Amino acid sequence: MTTVNKNTNALEVKNLVKYFYDPSKFQVLKGVSFDVKKGEFLSIIGKSGSGKSTLLYVLSTMDTDYEGNLSLNGQLLTGQTQNKLSAFRNEHIGFVFQFHYLLPEFTALENVMLPAKKLGKMSLEEIEHKAYESLRLLDLHEQALKGANKLSGGQQQRVAIARALINNPSIIMGDEPTGNLDSKNSLAVQDIFRDLAHEFGQTIICVTHDNDFARRTDRTIEMEDGLVISH
Amino acid sequence: MADKKKNKVNRQIASTHLTSKKWQTVVAILGVTFGVSMYIFMNSFMNGVNKTQDDLAFSNLAHIRIDNENEKNDYDPVKAVFSPATIFNISGRKDIQTETDIKNTNEIVDIMNRQQEVKDVTSQVNFSVFFRNGSKKINGSISGVDPENENRMFGSADKVIAGKWIDLNYMKSGMIIGKELAEDLGVKLNDNVNILTPDGASKNFNVIGIIETSIKEIDRSRAYINIGSARQLLGENFDYSTCVLVNLYNRDETSQVVANTEKAVGYNMETWQDANQQLVAASQLRNIIASAVSLAILLVAGFGIYNIMNMTINEKIREIAILKAMGFSGKDILNIFLTQATVIGLLGAVTGLLLGVGISSAVNQVPFKVAGLTTLPIHYQWGDFAAAIIFGIITTILAGYFPARKASKIDPVVIIRG
Repeated sequence: MTTVNKNTNALEVKNLVKYFYDPSKFQVLKGVSFDVKKGEFLSIIGKSGSGKSTLLYVLSTMDTDYEGNLSLNGQLLTGQTQNKLSAFRNEHIGFVFQFHYLLPEFTALENVMLPAKKLGKMSLEEIEHKAYESLRLLDLHEQALKGANKLSGGQQQRVAIARALINNPSIIMGDEPTGNLDSKNSLAVQDIFRDLAHEFGQTIICVTHDNDFARRTDRTIEMEDGLVISH
Repeated sequence: MADKKKNKVNRQIASTHLTSKKWQTVVAILGVTFGVSMYIFMNSFMNGVNKTQDDLAFSNLAHIRIDNENEKNDYDPVKAVFSPATIFNISGRKDIQTETDIKNTNEIVDIMNRQQEVKDVTSQVNFSVFFRNGSKKINGSISGVDPENENRMFGSADKVIAGKWIDLNYMKSGMIIGKELAEDLGVKLNDNVNILTPDGASKNFNVIGIIETSIKEIDRSRAYINIGSARQLLGENFDYSTCVLVNLYNRDETSQVVANTEKAVGYNMETWQDANQQLVAASQLRNIIASAVSLAILLVAGFGIYNIMNMTINEKIREIAILKAMGFSGKDILNIFLTQATVIGLLGAVTGLLLGVGISSAVNQVPFKVAGLTTLPIHYQWGDFAAAIIFGIITTILAGYFPARKASKIDPVVIIRG
């Protein structure tokens, strides 16, 4: 478990610049810099096209086509090989996508277990136990053995959240992680995120349209036209 | 340890992919099955045809024939005695009869038997005769044979349709006569036939058997007698023969056997390749056709597999992106899809093998009554099975590799952002 140390930075971004080349060269991020502390629950808001999702994908280490520096847990990730980044993501980052994105051929439980099996640091029994716990946390334990494609949109999104938690990642990132949830479940997820951040020191970064969601986070970064306008 | 676990996850994902869309897996496997089975069928059929052709050709053709017939006589006594400038005039010059037979048969047979490549050796005394039955007189030839060796070499006993081949061994005045020759002479089993040699010797032989080879020319003009009787008829001793025939274990080794023994033998040695160049050409052409056709089949099957793997991967592009986002590396993705290709290849190769043998044995039952055949010929070779399985699996893995490599390079951001 990550030690709780609120004084170190979980994430540092320096002068991030990114272009889109299709259909024509266009600067999406125009020099973004900020830090996120360990155990912080952070939201990023902004209008469509402000570059907030693009920023999140750069932070997630999946998008490597950028200029500037990205460090997570004090480790510089800019310029690392894809294989190293994959291994890093597996162990340190949990990701919740906007459109839930489960593997449809696997059960909910198997979906949750996959990242842990890939990490290979726990026995299968431990992984299964932990996956059940995560699912129970999100009130999904009864759906555990259902195929992912048999679940409703909201259920799928909560399974994706359970999956993001399985490896105890130091950073959890979400792109509209509650976008498909009703208000009751949305609040439950926000409570879970806050607990994870404040009690277990896991850092949460969420891109959202939802101003109510943003208000309940520790800090909100607002973006406009590829720049951070407030934080 | 950790690596083992990770591979286990990859295998688990691969197996889930294979089992969750069964029809797609089945179609992919069928692609391999079809290619492998057609390869096996085509090759077994071609081998069958080649083998039939060879069996037919070698039913009266030895791998090496040793005789004295083509020996050139360059000796000119006039040139040997007089100096080149001498002018002379010889009118009505005659060449003397050259020897056309083998005087030391036993020695030659011994030499050939000592060669480790040699399987069977037999000697023959062949000469032309008149067959006579009453007023009928037919021109033909006699083969004086060593019945046991002759049978071992050419399977003569199987071609005898009345009587027994091996009776030639002890019935010194017995004769086995070609089917059409017997009909032409109007003789049946146990009838007598008189033969007249070019030197004027005449003897009655008893028909103890009738033989039908698949070669008309022979059936119409030849009779077989014991080689001892033949020598007796010609007034020659036991060391006399007109040719010695040699069969090898591997008929492609003729030239080296000839090279090894030519000096010791001292007679003209003719290989079957020299004697029958059209046979060599036909056999080679058939092999080329067989290779080209099976290669085409496997190529088409390979493209089919490539298409299916490509389709599978395009369908799973979102899942690949998710796996990558969760921390699976390009290598893992490659591993997952290559595992699937390997499983498809293995299953396809095994079912293809079974189907190929099934199709071949079914074709082998189809009646085809020409030139001694009863059904279409099929001949299995282990090498073909091995090649089909190896090629089937390699094609599948290659066909899976390129789409899998594409999948391993998928940029998850592009897919997930939509």
